[in-house]
Amino acid sequence: MARNETPLVMPGNSSCAGCGAVLIARLVTEAIGPNQIMVIPACCMGAVATSFPKATFNVPVLRTAFASTASFLTGLEASAKAKGQEVTLVGFAGDGATVDIGLAALSGAIERGHSFVYICYDNEGYMNTGFQRSGSTPRGAQTSTTPGGALGRYKAEPRKDIAKIVAAHGIPYLATASPAYPADLTRKVERAVAVKGPTFLHIMSPCPLGWGFPSANSVELARTAVESGLWKLYELDHGVLRLSLSPKKRKPVKEFFAPQSRFAHLSDDVYEELQRAVDEEWTTIEKEGFSLRCETSRA
Amino acid sequence: MALRQLLRGNEAIAEAAIRAGCMCYFAYPITPQAELLEHMARNMPRLGRTFIQAESEVAAISMVYGAASAGVRTMTSSSSPGISLKQEGISYLAGSNLPSVIVNVVRGGPGLGNIAPSQCDYFQATKGGGHGDYHMIVLGPSTVPEAAQLTTLAFDLADLYRTPVMILADGLLGQMLEPVELPEPIDPASLPRKEWAATGAAGRDPNIILSFDLGPDNLKRMNEALQAKYREIRKREIRYEESDVADADLVIAAYGSTARIAKSALQMARAEGLKVGLFRPITLWPFPYDALRAVADHVDTVLTVEMSAGQMWEDVRLAVAERAKTPFYGEMGGVVPTPRSILNEVRKDAR
Repeated sequence: MARNETPLVMPGNSSCAGCGAVLIARLVTEAIGPNQIMVIPACCMGAVATSFPKATFNVPVLRTAFASTASFLTGLEASAKAKGQEVTLVGFAGDGATVDIGLAALSGAIERGHSFVYICYDNEGYMNTGFQRSGSTPRGAQTSTTPGGALGRYKAEPRKDIAKIVAAHGIPYLATASPAYPADLTRKVERAVAVKGPTFLHIMSPCPLGWGFPSANSVELARTAVESGLWKLYELDHGVLRLSLSPKKRKPVKEFFAPQSRFAHLSDDVYEELQRAVDEEWTTIEKEGFSLRCETSRA
Repeated sequence: MALRQLLRGNEAIAEAAIRAGCMCYFAYPITPQAELLEHMARNMPRLGRTFIQAESEVAAISMVYGAASAGVRTMTSSSSPGISLKQEGISYLAGSNLPSVIVNVVRGGPGLGNIAPSQCDYFQATKGGGHGDYHMIVLGPSTVPEAAQLTTLAFDLADLYRTPVMILADGLLGQMLEPVELPEPIDPASLPRKEWAATGAAGRDPNIILSFDLGPDNLKRMNEALQAKYREIRKREIRYEESDVADADLVIAAYGSTARIAKSALQMARAEGLKVGLFRPITLWPFPYDALRAVADHVDTVLTVEMSAGQMWEDVRLAVAERAKTPFYGEMGGVVPTPRSILNEVRKDAR
């Protein structure tokens, strides 16, 4: 299945069973090919990519400080320019490193217009340090810092919509993707590589340990997120916004939430409310077309 | 009757902070201190206190800066790279005379390093990791029970001297489980009122909390006041422990987890008839120069043992000067010395 002569992401690495991120890493890296430099901050994939002797990638990987993926890319781009080198610069960062601690660096680099492909694999929390909440954790989720129940509260705040934040910069190319739709994901990565200037992919990354579901079901869960209308696949290419997929007959959202232990406390009332919100959103899309304005936070 | 519990170092520090009346805690996830964050997440909200997981380390220390300005007991915790990110905020806290507690569960460095125990942040903690002429009080616990005790002390010293106080632990201490006798919780309302705090100036003159003055003469005066405070702290707050130094030929100088391992080495050395003692600084700033100097006057050798390339060693050599030999044994990168590896060094130097 590898597109390149040598696989660019190797088996036998130290990722957890069923890790969505390593699947995404493989699809992304293979789509870009060997002429790339990958920059990874502190995150799950950092540990997977560079833990000798189980280092995963057959492309150059540079590890940067948590807050500074996009700044590091800026420096790399300047160096590549100085040497007259044509190489694809890839940032591969989790949601904590993207929507929280690294947001200022990302914003600055997009605003300055450097050329890079920034991948945010979003497992909706700080999974590498023990499943703490992040700005991308959906409302209602149980995490180790939103333990819920008698101990306090579940995550009370809706997640940040990072794609919308990035879109507000007027970025040349932006897309959302899912490891359950590898052809769509690969096409979007290839488009991102072809576009000059900053590009951004926001990819849902199911995490069996952090979300609490059987590790065999990662792809199925990612697909359910799309088929239920919760995770929308779209792209914004030089100002033109396009849905990549409209699920014809949407699955109930409960099928996405219920298999995950982090949502085990949700009652049927909540599911009905969530279902209503998603239904209303898609009714609006069907009536008025898809816009980033009507993209409301889920869960 | 005090409660005795089996606790991880990270949890003991968190629980001691709650019992010391910490009202606001702000932090960001990092290994190996995540259990501290998680203990606070589970326990602060049900007590009606504030737990906030910040979006970055810079945000967390600045939240401490805000809360301390308003006059409540407040704390943050992290591990080495996160503490590096907090340095500007710590300098502001020191410059603004704000009581606050900062916990560093040190891991291997530099850069990303690893998540194993280390003492490689001693310079950063004791010599002022941020900018400007400032110090923090730095406390180096050696066991989990002592980590809890020193947390209580940290809040008291912070308030007494209006200064940031750091608890310099390490990954070993953070992760280790030990029985701990926790202090009785204090009622935060019973603490002395902080008349200097920012509480709104209705009906009184405004308070000024600031680390800024464009006039060199004024800023010099602010610095002189800080230095006067540091002289006072040096005079009153030096803490250390001596074991078997009275008849010793060789004294091991070690702090934190390493001192605890050195104690086992000491017993093994004594069993072999080697006259070995231990000098353990508890306050790393202010460093117990005079006490160590007094020890050096009657021993041949002061062997410094650290999980670093020799950071406290510099303070040991300043204290000992030419009074005794000052060899060094250090491990780096998360390698922890064993009682036997220390004993081997002792044997070399005791001859």
